[in-house]
Amino acid sequence: MVIKVENLVKRYGDLVALDHLSLSVKEGEIFGLLGPNGSGKTTAINSILSLLQYDHGSIEIFGKPMTPEAYGIKRDIGVVMQNVAVYNELTVYDNIDYFCGLYVEGKEKRKKLVQEAIEFTGLQDFIGFYPKKLSGGLLRRLNIACGIAHKPKLIFLDEPTVAIDPQSRNKILEGIVELNRQGATIVYTSHYMEEVEQICTRIMILDKGRAIAQGTKDQLKDMITLGEKITVETSGITPEHIERLKRIPNVLSVEYNGVLVISSGKGQNNLEYVLEFFKKEGLEYGKIYSELPTLNDVFLEITGKELRD
Amino acid sequence: MQIFKLCMKVIKKKLPIMSIYIGVFVMLSLIMSSNISKETEKEPSFVESKANIAVIAEESTPLTEGLIKELEKNADFVEIEDDTEAIQDALYFRFATYILRIPEGFTQRFMSGEEVMLEKTVVPDSYTGVYIDMSVEKYLNTARLYVRNLKDIDINQLVEYVAGDMTKQTNLVVTVPEDKQVDFVYSNYFFNYFVYSLFSVLILGISTLMMVFNEDNLRKRNACSPIPAMRSSLQFFLAILVFTLVSWMIMVVCCVLFNLKNSININTVYFIINSFVYALSCAAMSFLIGNLIKGEGSLSAVTNVVALGSSFISGVFVPQELLGSTVLRIASFTPSYWFVNANNIIAKTSNFNLKKMEPVFSSMLIQLGFTVAFLAVALVVGKKKRYA
Ligand SMILES: Nc1ncnc2c1ncn2[C@@H]1O[C@H](COP(=O)(O)OP(=O)(O)OP(=O)(O)O)[C@@H](O)[C@H]1O
Ligand SMILES: [Mg+2]
Repeated sequence: MVIKVENLVKRYGDLVALDHLSLSVKEGEIFGLLGPNGSGKTTAINSILSLLQYDHGSIEIFGKPMTPEAYGIKRDIGVVMQNVAVYNELTVYDNIDYFCGLYVEGKEKRKKLVQEAIEFTGLQDFIGFYPKKLSGGLLRRLNIACGIAHKPKLIFLDEPTVAIDPQSRNKILEGIVELNRQGATIVYTSHYMEEVEQICTRIMILDKGRAIAQGTKDQLKDMITLGEKITVETSGITPEHIERLKRIPNVLSVEYNGVLVISSGKGQNNLEYVLEFFKKEGLEYGKIYSELPTLNDVFLEITGKELRD
Repeated sequence: MQIFKLCMKVIKKKLPIMSIYIGVFVMLSLIMSSNISKETEKEPSFVESKANIAVIAEESTPLTEGLIKELEKNADFVEIEDDTEAIQDALYFRFATYILRIPEGFTQRFMSGEEVMLEKTVVPDSYTGVYIDMSVEKYLNTARLYVRNLKDIDINQLVEYVAGDMTKQTNLVVTVPEDKQVDFVYSNYFFNYFVYSLFSVLILGISTLMMVFNEDNLRKRNACSPIPAMRSSLQFFLAILVFTLVSWMIMVVCCVLFNLKNSININTVYFIINSFVYALSCAAMSFLIGNLIKGEGSLSAVTNVVALGSSFISGVFVPQELLGSTVLRIASFTPSYWFVNANNIIAKTSNFNLKKMEPVFSSMLIQLGFTVAFLAVALVVGKKKRYA
């Protein structure tokens, strides 16, 4: 077990930011912490890293208790903070070199690592820039480069893709998968379910400091009753139609406002029935498609609210 | 030594701003030095300045002629009418600052031994009048001596005697002790000026370092690294110390180089020691300031207020003798006051012995006391802030 957290409690005054949180991360995983803003992701990461004093619980990394003085453990960890932490007085190159130098002594070795990190994050054209002159996306990439240059065994990335355009975001996600392929265990937090779904091998969903579900994405989707969601772009639906649609076996709910959404439970597929219904009633329709549940549906079903903000 | 190197790079980035302060220091020093050397050139000599006077003589005798001749040495004569309004105008517009009236019958009464006076009208508070008074009195007193002691002296003879006596001018000798030949006014100013220049540079450099070092995100990020907290703090302090020493050294070298001819002596050694002690207390105070202020924006404002403020109240721009006692009492709660105080004593001292240097040493000790106090407060404040 690379990380083992048990019954972690962290309070800010009256606010319980982490409520008996337990989690474990195995070697080679990309562990995703998914939760809306303020759900406690950053608090969890900072507690695990011993940057915060927590009220209760135990934290082990690489099988040893994590403390502020556990320098041996810290040597093998890479951190990409949610808030960009780079020195405005240093150039892109010097920033990466500085943070890498906190972990790696040898000059030659460091030079090579810094170069690799620059290529990895695609910052070749900006090595002489000062952070103030970088765009938001480039700054995030620099933040990542500073965190991973020393090739750590365990990497924490706290919302590294916030405020980044989709193209850069994809590159970053690919990079993370690549780091994982090279052997790093990864803890990744985000409030974008698509990202988490795309790269994480195991996911924990957080809400109000509590773990409300965890598992692979398929396991998570299996937890809920929703099996299929059929969406039809159509007009001329009457309440009577809706009543009749609801009578199709295994249908959980039918909603209509401009588009018709029919949710069905697991097991039986209803697309065929729906198509037949439209033909029989002589109803016109545009696009019609069927979706499997997303993590948003999981979150919605468990908490009763949307994950998206 | 990653953190030490980081600090050096951060300071390097701030060099342009700091060099402005050093540039101002050098420029002001040069201006000061040229002014002071001009002033000191004329300082030991004594010059009687000539006043514009008017003499309204109602009689003309050898005695009055002799007096006027005597006054010519120290005054320029102007002609004015004998008319109250004209006299008042002349005084008001300073055509004449001294108007002497010789009344009719003066000579006769004087010769007969009577106590007669000349009438004078002067511009109030004009010091040039004093010279004229002195000359008039000297002349008449000398003449009176002859009149009293040599009965029936001939008036022409009398005037001749007095004129002879008057040429025997006393020479005013301003003595300058041998070892005071070296001029410490300049060094004194120079080192006092550290309160502005060195202090500004140190506040700027050290506070910048503190802000960078204490910035929350960066502090957390660094706390993730395997460098022990103790080691990074030590490197940080080392960087501050090196920065302080280098800044101090640059300025001392400036002070000595610009004033080389007056600098090779024991006084300079004391000046340097005192400035070193002061540099330490500036560093400690900057450390405290760095713990207290938030953004870069307030930094330059704080630098100016603190450095300029302490320069004013501790007698850098205005000599301590001219400052009010309340101001000085407030100033004595800053190390700058004690630094300037010690400098002023050093500048006045010529033959060094331990007894004479006691006030200097105690000023230095007080500065060191401030250093320790500032550091202690800074550490407490810093700790509070970090765990807030
Ligand atoms: N220093 C603090 N003092 C008081 N409350 C805090 C502090 N830091 C976080 N909180 C609160 O703790 C809760 C969890 O915050 P946290 O930053 O861990 O959320 P998050 O999941 O990382 O959110 P985001 O997606 O916005 O980054 C929030 O309600 C937040 O307001
Ligand atoms: Mg967060």
